Amino acid sequence: MVQTEMYVMLAVVLFVLGTLGVLLRRNAILVFMSVELMLNAANLALVAFARQWGNVDGHLFVFFVITVAAAEVAIGLALIVAIFRSKKSINIDELHQLKG
Amino acid sequence: MEFNIHSIVFLIFSVITLGGGLGTVTSRNLIHGAVYLIVSLFGVAGLFILLSAPFLAAIQVLVYIGAIAILIIFAVMLTRSMTRMTEIYNRQWSLSLVVSALLFVLLLVGIILPVWGPGTANAALQPSELVATTVDLGVAFVDGNQFVLPFEVASLLLTAAMIGAIVIARDRD
Amino acid sequence: MQLPSLSELNLGLTVPALSLALWACILLVIDLFIPRDRKSVTAWLAAGGVVFAFIANLLVYRDPGVAFMGLFVADEFAGFLNIVVLLTAFIAILMSVDYLKRTGIERGEYYVLLLMTTSGIMFMNSANDLAVVFIALELLSIPLYVLAAFRAPEERSEEAGLKYFILGAFASAFFVFGAALIYGATGSSSLPVIVDAVGRALAGEGSSLLLLLMGSGLILAGLGFKVAVVPFHMWTPDVYEGAPTPVTAFMSVGAKVGGFAALLRILLVALPALTVAEGDAVAGWQTATWVVAALTLILGNIVAISQTNIKRLLAYSSIAHAGYVLMAVAAAGTPGVSDQATRAALIYLMAYMFTNLGAFAVAMAIEKDDGSGTSLDDFKGLGRSRPLLAAIMAVFMLSLTGIPLTAGFVGKWVVFQATIEAGLYTLAVIGVLTSVISAFYYVRVIVNMFLEDGEGDPAAAATPYVQWAIYLTFAGTLVLGIIPSLVTNLSGPVALAVASLVP
Repeated sequence: MVQTEMYVMLAVVLFVLGTLGVLLRRNAILVFMSVELMLNAANLALVAFARQWGNVDGHLFVFFVITVAAAEVAIGLALIVAIFRSKKSINIDELHQLKG
Repeated sequence: MEFNIHSIVFLIFSVITLGGGLGTVTSRNLIHGAVYLIVSLFGVAGLFILLSAPFLAAIQVLVYIGAIAILIIFAVMLTRSMTRMTEIYNRQWSLSLVVSALLFVLLLVGIILPVWGPGTANAALQPSELVATTVDLGVAFVDGNQFVLPFEVASLLLTAAMIGAIVIARDRD
Repeated sequence: MQLPSLSELNLGLTVPALSLALWACILLVIDLFIPRDRKSVTAWLAAGGVVFAFIANLLVYRDPGVAFMGLFVADEFAGFLNIVVLLTAFIAILMSVDYLKRTGIERGEYYVLLLMTTSGIMFMNSANDLAVVFIALELLSIPLYVLAAFRAPEERSEEAGLKYFILGAFASAFFVFGAALIYGATGSSSLPVIVDAVGRALAGEGSSLLLLLMGSGLILAGLGFKVAVVPFHMWTPDVYEGAPTPVTAFMSVGAKVGGFAALLRILLVALPALTVAEGDAVAGWQTATWVVAALTLILGNIVAISQTNIKRLLAYSSIAHAGYVLMAVAAAGTPGVSDQATRAALIYLMAYMFTNLGAFAVAMAIEKDDGSGTSLDDFKGLGRSRPLLAAIMAVFMLSLTGIPLTAGFVGKWVVFQATIEAGLYTLAVIGVLTSVISAFYYVRVIVNMFLEDGEGDPAAAATPYVQWAIYLTFAGTLVLGIIPSLVTNLSGPVALAVASLVP
């Protein structure tokens, strides 16, 4: 049986990969996909820890994370498409109207 | 870790997960990025099965790949002039790299030291053989001692998200 | 399988938060039958829901307890913060009625979303489990993303929504991963159970201390985004400037209250004993919050000096004020002071609520229908054209600086007191110095209004509703400032009653 630590390390790598994507990419959709990677990393860690502790709390937490991801994707993509309709660009650093 | 069937399958799924993740973060084409994301999500679903969480693996495939990833692809197609990108990274890429590297080191220290460093108390705890069946999860949701409240709030959250998405997306008059 | 009976769930305690959410859903349907030109009826109905929740909250506040077998705590802490949040929501509704009409975005869903996010904050105030905190945090955030973009297709508003969304989602991911690590270290997401596990971890058995520290660090970062502390503040000025002004006003108080409620409860209930090395007298997160508070105070106050737009100025000022609340959080890391510091944070939040909402209400009265007219130059000559409005704004500015006889002074007084009590002298000095710096930019607004020449804007649209909002916050600012015992008594027994209440 693979040790919990291996799963958690995998989750850490995936989480940092997602962080890197969020910080590095310009395109809003890709930034959003990177956030999904981060949430998945958290899910992986939660399930791995749930097996370690032998309770289902971690599994239930994953449910809520998935629910939230679904809610976020609905709002986020609506916003992205709305902004694309008025600007024809969804590059985050081209949000000129507000100086960053 | 010794080499048995478990660890080999684990290796395969980790490679799929991380490869997909890397592909998402570096892809030049948005559609490719979305497909890589699906690959990565699929890898996580496989790991869920290894972790004896078959129901979550099914949910992962149904909701994450079936709904979320597909929605993302819809969004990519609705903003389709963006599918090919010339300049993929933003201007503060060096700072981003440093911050991510820092975070990585920090987290690894937090995870690895407990494993190989002093106080390896975790090793004493053997992973349980518990398989979280659908029944267990369902009971835990309605069992008053557990997660009734967040379950209710989650339904509110979905309602709010639905209203919000309609507000943003509907035609302006 | 033993299901609990309804009475065991103690549903009565959740009435304030649940009734608001339920009323939001009902209002969504009622709104369909309200004609387009009479949407102020929806506003009144929404305000009625807030008043109902307020009364229910006062009743619950008298008789604290736990509901849902410990997942939901209705203690004085939550009750007090609920009062702050419900007042915020009420004033925000008053501010919205005319603003929505004159900017042409009058839609019933606005009030529905406002009630939803308010109930989310109330759930956060009471959440006693990381899963509840997380889902309530999202219920707080998701309607706010939409509200920030409510002026769409106006570009600045859309961009504010997108920026807030992306960084909010990023912050949530941090929070979840932190929660996962804490779950990994303790085996539970329930705060009272975590505290036991922390004790075992300190004794060197069971779980890993580093995992806990890492997890709490990530949670701190995730919530830091929500309350806008350095280095997680970058989104604040842009979002505050682009979002519709009443939404900005609500966000600047509501999101902070929710974030600090969760932060205080997680740190003080679950992790009070979490120390870096065994035998440390103070909690391990004290140094981290200390440093973040100092950075926030310095950066927020200094960058605010160079702002020329009142909404951006108030955004940086709100960052700075988050720093003052965080001072109290840091002070709470010293065991003997934690009750006093918690109280200080709550009083500060209430004082900040009145003052800041008032400042935004005045800024909104000056603002033109197209969203312009928020530059500091637009305040020139206001003292002559609208003397009363200008005088009230001056009081708000003095209160934000922390001049005696205003609410801001009381807030700062109790926070500094707690900080000194906790022995964080350097932080207290930084707090005092940055308060002096903040006088520069707050007083500049007053100078602009009374001493600079300008035509002002005699037509400034302080319509009846907005006037009521301004008077209400003005009264709150003065009453708190002159009779501080009112609120110090009210929050007298405020302690996180959690440990003793949970079975």
